[in-house]
Amino acid sequence: MSLFSVLSIGASGMAAQRARAELLVENLANAETTRTPEGGPYRRKDVVFESTPVASPFASVFDTQIQAAGGVAVADVVTDNSDPERRYQPGHPDADADGYVAFPRVNPAEDMVDLMGAARSYEANVAAIGAVKDMIQRSIDLLH
Amino acid sequence: MLKTVVIAAAPGATKCWRAAMDWRGIPARLVDCKRLPKWRSKCFKYGGMLDPIAGQLERYMDLLSARQKLVASNIANADTPGYHTEDIDFQSEFQNAAGLAPRTIEVTGLAMKNDGNNVSLDRESRLLSENALRFQLASSLLRSEIQSVREAIKEGQSS
Repeated sequence: MSLFSVLSIGASGMAAQRARAELLVENLANAETTRTPEGGPYRRKDVVFESTPVASPFASVFDTQIQAAGGVAVADVVTDNSDPERRYQPGHPDADADGYVAFPRVNPAEDMVDLMGAARSYEANVAAIGAVKDMIQRSIDLLH
Repeated sequence: MLKTVVIAAAPGATKCWRAAMDWRGIPARLVDCKRLPKWRSKCFKYGGMLDPIAGQLERYMDLLSARQKLVASNIANADTPGYHTEDIDFQSEFQNAAGLAPRTIEVTGLAMKNDGNNVSLDRESRLLSENALRFQLASSLLRSEIQSVREAIKEGQSS
C-alpha cells in the first residue's frame, strides 16, 4: 500500500471524466448533423464506467493490502439507437419523399447538465490528487 | 570494539539500517535484522531513541493513507453504476494493535442513486480534507520527535 497508487486512482478518474466530457461535447457539436459516414443522422453517444484495479508502480514487489480499492475506466461507449427526430423541412437536401428530415435525438440541455457534472467530478479528482500530493510531501519533509 | 546502532526499520522488515561506529569507520549500511545482537525488527516501534509515540504515529499515518486511498477510489468511481462507497472503521483499526492490514467495510446510510451508486461527493471531500489535516498534524508531531533526536546527535558531533 503506498500513497503513490492513490495518485494513479485519481488520474484514472480524471481520464474517465475527460473521455465522458469529450463525448458530451461531440454530442452537442453534432446536435444538428444529418450526414455521417455510416449514413443517416448523428446518433448520441454515452460512456459506461466500471471500477478497475489500478496498476501501481512496484505493485508486484509490495503486496497491495487493500485489494478492493480501485480506479475507474471507460468500459464501453454506447450509441443511442432510438429513432431519429423527424422535422418537416421540404427544402432541405436530406429531406425524404414526404419532405421530412431525420435529425439526431440530442437534447442540448441534458448534455450541458451532464457536461457540468463531468467537470465537477474532474475537479473532485484533482482535489483528491492535490491532497495526496500534500501528504506525500509532508512525509518527505520528515527527512529534512 | 564494534557497536551497532539501529537507526530505523519498518515494522516487519527484515533489513534495518545499521550504523557501525568503530575505529575502522564502517559506514552505515543495510543489514539483516536477525543478525543484530539486541534490537531486532520493529526497532523503530519500540526502539530506544524515539518514544513509543513514534510507533503509534506511524500506525496512525499508515491508516490515514489507507483511508485516503479508499476516499480517492470513491471519488474516482462517483459515476460508476452499481459502485458502493467503501471505508475503514478507523477507531477499531487503530485500537487493533496487531498492525494488520485494515479491512474495508461498506458504508451504510447513504442515499442510493438510481444507477445503484451511493457515493456522496460531499462526504468524500470532507473526509479528503480531514485526512489531509490529520496527516499534517501527525507528520508535524513525528517531525518534532525526529528533530529532538537529530539535535542530540548534532550536539554530540560539534563538541
